[in-house]
Amino acid sequence: MTVFIICAVISIAGIILYLLQAGAAYSLIKKKKVSVCLTAMHEPDYTPQVSILKPLKGLDDNLFDNLSSFCNQNYPSYEILFCLQDINDPAYKVARRVQERSPGRNISIVVEKCNIGLNPKVNNLIPAYRRARHPYVLISDSNVMVDENYLQEIMRFTADPSVGLVSNLIRGIGGRSLGALFENLHLNSFIIGSVSFLDRVLGMPCVIGKSMLMKKDDLEALGGLDAFKDILAEDFIIGREMQRSGKKVVLSNYVISNVNEYWGVKRFLNRHTRWGKLRWNIGGAKYISELLVNPVFIATLPILFMGPSQGTLSLAAFISLIKVLGDSMIGRTIESSAASTYNHKQSSLVYFLAPIKDILIGILWFVPLLSSTVVWRGNRYIIGKDSRLSPCSENEAWSWGFRITERRRARVA
Amino acid sequence: MLLCDFHIHTTFSDGSLELRKTIDLFGQAGFDVIAITDHVVNGDNVMGKFARQFNLSIRGDNFDEYLQAIRMEAERACGKYGMLVIPGVEISKNYVSKEESAHLLLLDIKEFIPACMNYDEIFLEAKRQNTLTVACHPHHTPDMVNKDTLYLWNNRDKYAKYIDAWEIANRDDVFNVISLKKYPYVANSDFHKARHLYSWKTLLNCDKNVESVKNCIRHNKGVAITLFRN
Repeated sequence: MTVFIICAVISIAGIILYLLQAGAAYSLIKKKKVSVCLTAMHEPDYTPQVSILKPLKGLDDNLFDNLSSFCNQNYPSYEILFCLQDINDPAYKVARRVQERSPGRNISIVVEKCNIGLNPKVNNLIPAYRRARHPYVLISDSNVMVDENYLQEIMRFTADPSVGLVSNLIRGIGGRSLGALFENLHLNSFIIGSVSFLDRVLGMPCVIGKSMLMKKDDLEALGGLDAFKDILAEDFIIGREMQRSGKKVVLSNYVISNVNEYWGVKRFLNRHTRWGKLRWNIGGAKYISELLVNPVFIATLPILFMGPSQGTLSLAAFISLIKVLGDSMIGRTIESSAASTYNHKQSSLVYFLAPIKDILIGILWFVPLLSSTVVWRGNRYIIGKDSRLSPCSENEAWSWGFRITERRRARVA
Repeated sequence: MLLCDFHIHTTFSDGSLELRKTIDLFGQAGFDVIAITDHVVNGDNVMGKFARQFNLSIRGDNFDEYLQAIRMEAERACGKYGMLVIPGVEISKNYVSKEESAHLLLLDIKEFIPACMNYDEIFLEAKRQNTLTVACHPHHTPDMVNKDTLYLWNNRDKYAKYIDAWEIANRDDVFNVISLKKYPYVANSDFHKARHLYSWKTLLNCDKNVESVKNCIRHNKGVAITLFRN
């Protein structure tokens, strides 16, 4: 009975926290539009030049449309630099085709192998960053799709000289497989809620690298991209360092779309294990609070410990229902405010998958406590404090486990 | 080189993605030439009747609609992605015995060809329509789910002259017997699900139009295969 009461109290506290996050996301999306409009009224011709850096590796879902959406911006002067490490990357062909289809745009494809650091994304970005000619740089992931007003909207924030970095709210769209649906549900509930809550309530920047706009001079003052070459969560750390340097880190309420169509469940689990390890290594004890904002997982624990009964099942069902309704409300708010040319209407029934996703995320929560190695884009690292990477030695115990697993897998195949 | 896949199924038969989404998936990934080849199943046995009953086959009565849909999508794909889409079908003669079963791609098809016709009639009709004929997955596969289709390979002495190319690789399987016989070859995904995008493909060194593609495959010069991976 004690277990039940403890779990019930924690899960109800978690639901309250979750509703606060949902409220923060709602108020951020609705409220800040006013301030953006005011800035625009004061500086109608404010359009500084900007270099958009797009690191490419492999084929993301919807890649052609994602890249094309950056070529159609209602903005007078900007350049796009697609950066790749390898000319044989399948994304190269897509980038070339996008370039050919937008002859009037200033688009360059930078193919250069760079092994300066351990973070493959930063390695990919550095050659293009060095070639960027404009005073502002926008780092934007290849799985992001925007509408034609995106650049105009986010550049307005830089009219305030104290602003050092502008990031955006992100929503997941396009789920056509279970893994993609889980990913999008997670982006549209936990991620958007947490980022909004940290920004609105705690005043903490939580920058996600899908869209990061900075003045090149400000980034150089932090040591340029080279200073973050061995940091796995380079986006979050850049945001934190920017704030420490006295510059404002702004979270724009302009919602950008992260297109996830055909993810497998394994990919979803891998990504959130990696992100969990990042947050554990950066946040330390704060990471524990994440379990609290997963009330569905907490509410299902009594079923595990005490077996199914009317009480345990009712608690899990009640909390899950509130979570489904909450996620559905956030989802609709995002959908109504986000401008997108992506044409795929998601059924409301997908929100009923949210409790399953939350239980999976709850299980994954424990992984970072047990392991500090991470595999990202084919590379294995040990994550240290602030997500600083160090190479994994091939002689350590994990590598033998890895080899045995690979051998078994090969034999089964 | 043109990146090509000539063996793709949609929800017109047993594929999991609808035609438009399939076209978008390949277009977004930078493909140059694809062929949509939904099944035309023989209706002269229980398996065929089952497939037809559950709309897992193109039939005579919906063939024009199928062709029209591909043509419309081909126009869109050309405008948006610069991708050439060729209409086709996979004649699927399925029997209990794998020795009697055969699957044959007909690319650039114009009129319906029923799968219950005998092989000679099918090849004659294909020739009349100037379609490109490709024997698909012609040899043993390690696949536990799909049944082997060996008829054309076992009767290659009789039918090889009618077949423009053989699938030397299908999805993850490679049929080295095709190379030993020095037959013209292509490699395809046998696409049914989104994950099948990453599989064996054909590279062609020719112009991006239907006749050039057909000639390139028939003469089998400037043809290469590649394992397309992300």
